[in-house]
Amino acid sequence: MSNINRRNFLGAGLILSASTLLGKETPKKIITEAKNFVPPVIAFPEKKPLKVISDRPPLLESPRDIFTQAITPNDQFFVRWHMPDIPTYIDLNEFRLEVKGSVENPLSLSVDDLKSKFEPVEITSVLQCGGNSRKYYAGTGPATHGVQWGHGAMGCAVWKGVRLKDILHRAGVKGSAKWVGVNGLEKPAMEETPKFFREMNIDEALSGDLIVAYAMNGEDLPYLNGFPLRLVIPGHFSDSWVKMLSEITVMDEYRQSFFMDVAYTVPDNDCECVVSGSDFEYKRKPIAIMKVKSVIGYPTPNTVIKKGSRVKVTGVAFDQGKGIKEVMISTDGGKSWSATQLQKDHGKYAYRPWSFQWEPKTKGEYTIMVRAINRIGNIQPQVNEIGWNAGGYQYNAVDSVNVKIV
Amino acid sequence: MKKLLVLSALLATVAYAQVSKPIEMPYVDYPMAKGDHDEVAQQYCLICHSWGYILNQGTKSRPYWTGTVQKMVNEFKAPIGKEDQQTIINYLVKHYGYESTAQH
Repeated sequence: MSNINRRNFLGAGLILSASTLLGKETPKKIITEAKNFVPPVIAFPEKKPLKVISDRPPLLESPRDIFTQAITPNDQFFVRWHMPDIPTYIDLNEFRLEVKGSVENPLSLSVDDLKSKFEPVEITSVLQCGGNSRKYYAGTGPATHGVQWGHGAMGCAVWKGVRLKDILHRAGVKGSAKWVGVNGLEKPAMEETPKFFREMNIDEALSGDLIVAYAMNGEDLPYLNGFPLRLVIPGHFSDSWVKMLSEITVMDEYRQSFFMDVAYTVPDNDCECVVSGSDFEYKRKPIAIMKVKSVIGYPTPNTVIKKGSRVKVTGVAFDQGKGIKEVMISTDGGKSWSATQLQKDHGKYAYRPWSFQWEPKTKGEYTIMVRAINRIGNIQPQVNEIGWNAGGYQYNAVDSVNVKIV
Repeated sequence: MKKLLVLSALLATVAYAQVSKPIEMPYVDYPMAKGDHDEVAQQYCLICHSWGYILNQGTKSRPYWTGTVQKMVNEFKAPIGKEDQQTIINYLVKHYGYESTAQH
């Protein structure tokens, strides 16, 4: 059990350093630590100001208060690209989606073709980066590899487009086909760098839920969310939701690649976890379906609320598409729990908003926590129970927010 | 920072225009610690990604930064010679890390 001791030890250190930071101004010295790194908040094209973790490739994180809404506005939707070279202009007269490989009739489709020659479908679905909430692994164990996202690398939108299945049927998938590869227009800086290429099993590609989306919340996709087309895989982490989708390659053989076999993988065991602090020396499998999760949208951390106020605590919950059964809330740091009220159901892959009326009667510090359970009994782990992985993927432990009642 | 604000103000005016002309991406001048051959880190790391990637990682151990630089070379094919790799690792450990055998 030495790992547990180590975890507690490291955790204690992290909690201490975090608490000394509360209430501090932006550091004046050169930023050298993640816990001191305050990303600039800047408006990118078609976006409201968002936290800019990186400008190249663009990594923009949404603020926590977007979780007070069941549908994330396009101009606040998070952004995550992998490659630095992203076309800054797309001429729809020129743009084509190529469907090729093991098909009877290779296709070259314009966005107009997709809109006019296929049945349109709409689905409301959460889009969540596999590394979303990754920084919270550092709450109980060593910080993991990867971009230290808060909860703001996810959103929920109404996606409209064409079923991938319909496109593949139009092309005529050959009997020998086993895999489907997808890639978009983003390019690495150097020819030798692996392309962002993702693959899925042919059966998954032909299942009805995947769509090639040309609209998001009733508008063209924002440029930075993948204009003009992106793949939508409801219930799955976003690693294969390829943006600026330009090629669909039907293949007989799996193609090994960095972005399938190394990136976006978790330990290939039942708990998908290893002793915290381990390196990547474990057998891996790609991350796939999302895990049950709920987050608090209001209040945000360190909100100061007047005693006796009627506080409407709100947030969202979701899972892989089984449906949220219940979201429980604690306002005393997890000692006692109550049920929240589930709000409108936007579909099984969407955020399920929830709310809770709270009237804090005494002054002091409070920790609000939420915990969701889905219809097949998957429940969010407690913070100290979540299995650790070196890539920091799939974080879904109980969310908590500290507020002050005065 | 002032430059940034002006830039983002300019961008705000085009933000909601239809995408009929090239979008303009803001440039963010992330601070880099000076000294210990920061120019080598600058020369290679910034080919593919902004310095925000480093700042966001937090303080990391020597094995972590060594592994990260090796990943850039082996997986992403960053054209960094052996000597320069070591210079970058030393720079990262000194300014964004600590001496330890821990993996993280």
